[in-house]
Amino acid sequence: MATLRDIKRKISSINSTQTITRTMKMVSAAKLRRAQEELEKIKDYAVKMEELTGRVVKNMPEDAHPLLVAREEVKKVLIVSVGSDRGLCGAFNTNIGLHAQNFTLQNHDKYERIGVYVFGRKVRDYLQRRKVDIVKSWIDVKKIDQELVSEVADELIGLYLNGEFDKIYLSYTHFRSAVKQEVVFEEFVPIKTSDEVEYIDYLCEPDRIKIVESLIPRYIGTKIYYALVESQTSEHAARMSSMENATTNCGDMVKYLTLVYNKRRQESITNEMMDIVGGAEALRGT
Amino acid sequence: MLSLEVITPEKTLVKEEVDIVEAKGAYGEFGILPGHTQFLTTLEIGEIRYTKEGVTSHLSVGGGFAEVVEDKVVLLLDVAEFAVDIDVERARKAMERAESVLKTLSAEDNEYRIHEMALLRAIARISVASKNLG
Repeated sequence: MATLRDIKRKISSINSTQTITRTMKMVSAAKLRRAQEELEKIKDYAVKMEELTGRVVKNMPEDAHPLLVAREEVKKVLIVSVGSDRGLCGAFNTNIGLHAQNFTLQNHDKYERIGVYVFGRKVRDYLQRRKVDIVKSWIDVKKIDQELVSEVADELIGLYLNGEFDKIYLSYTHFRSAVKQEVVFEEFVPIKTSDEVEYIDYLCEPDRIKIVESLIPRYIGTKIYYALVESQTSEHAARMSSMENATTNCGDMVKYLTLVYNKRRQESITNEMMDIVGGAEALRGT
Repeated sequence: MLSLEVITPEKTLVKEEVDIVEAKGAYGEFGILPGHTQFLTTLEIGEIRYTKEGVTSHLSVGGGFAEVVEDKVVLLLDVAEFAVDIDVERARKAMERAESVLKTLSAEDNEYRIHEMALLRAIARISVASKNLG
């Protein structure tokens, strides 16, 4: 049974944990605000770029661009999983890892090879432990910028064009709001045209194929950039809410332990008093 | 009236109703007025002008795409700046730097094109900025 001193020690330890989680929550809140600003900046561009690309590639002859051709035989599939380097953000990385893992488990007899292209240490470790084929991992990415994005875009396009992979999926966490983030798992390359988009017969300068040729690399780059920024924003939001929970839980725990502590203290005082009274009674009797 | 949107990865620069938009496309300068046909083009490094109630605004652009559908003009640009925001001194320095690098390279080098683009961008920015003053 825990003594009074043990309980007291526990309370103070939980108190200091609470201080840490509270601070982490505040740090994440500040980072989230910054990330949200960055996300806002690129959002319009990314959305418009996606719409425009959808309209332009609609009804294009398939051979117009190699990234538009869906291969008849899909043998090797690549999943681009975007997560984070650091933990303490709830199920953020686990969700991304789970999606990649589930896809691999469900389809491993359908395809010859399923590779994963990973962002973030936590996701990499998760998948490595589960023996998933990791093609490449980006760890300790300091800043998401154009340089990084074009390197990734070139590499992915290269992997597709030289036949290393026949299809590429993109998986990241979509930032819906500060309290809600969802994992997205979508087909990325070859670029698919959605049926909802209506075909527009543009007057094109120079010609449609040339436009598609310069549009597609930019589309790919923007998509990657957007996914990285969304994931980063989601990470901070996820960390903020999990630290918030941790802080609340610490508070509950301290409350409960304080109650136990007081009860135990009173009990021991009562016992002591009974001892004294009992002792005095015994003395008077003689 | 045309609804014009000028969007860069940095931010949405313009979102308003305008009377006319002029820009430099793959086949040279073009102007968009209400009732224009559905139109799609790549944009060259250079200038974009639009006029609203007699006031003309100038922007420098570093390439992108223009789409016109039913009096909606969407310009997706890699980089763009309003004439007033251009730092002429910096642009001039960038121009000099690009020029000096270009002298050391031959047209076959891979980097030649990168620096040539940088030079064109700097020239475009300087010329747009000077219009704002004049």
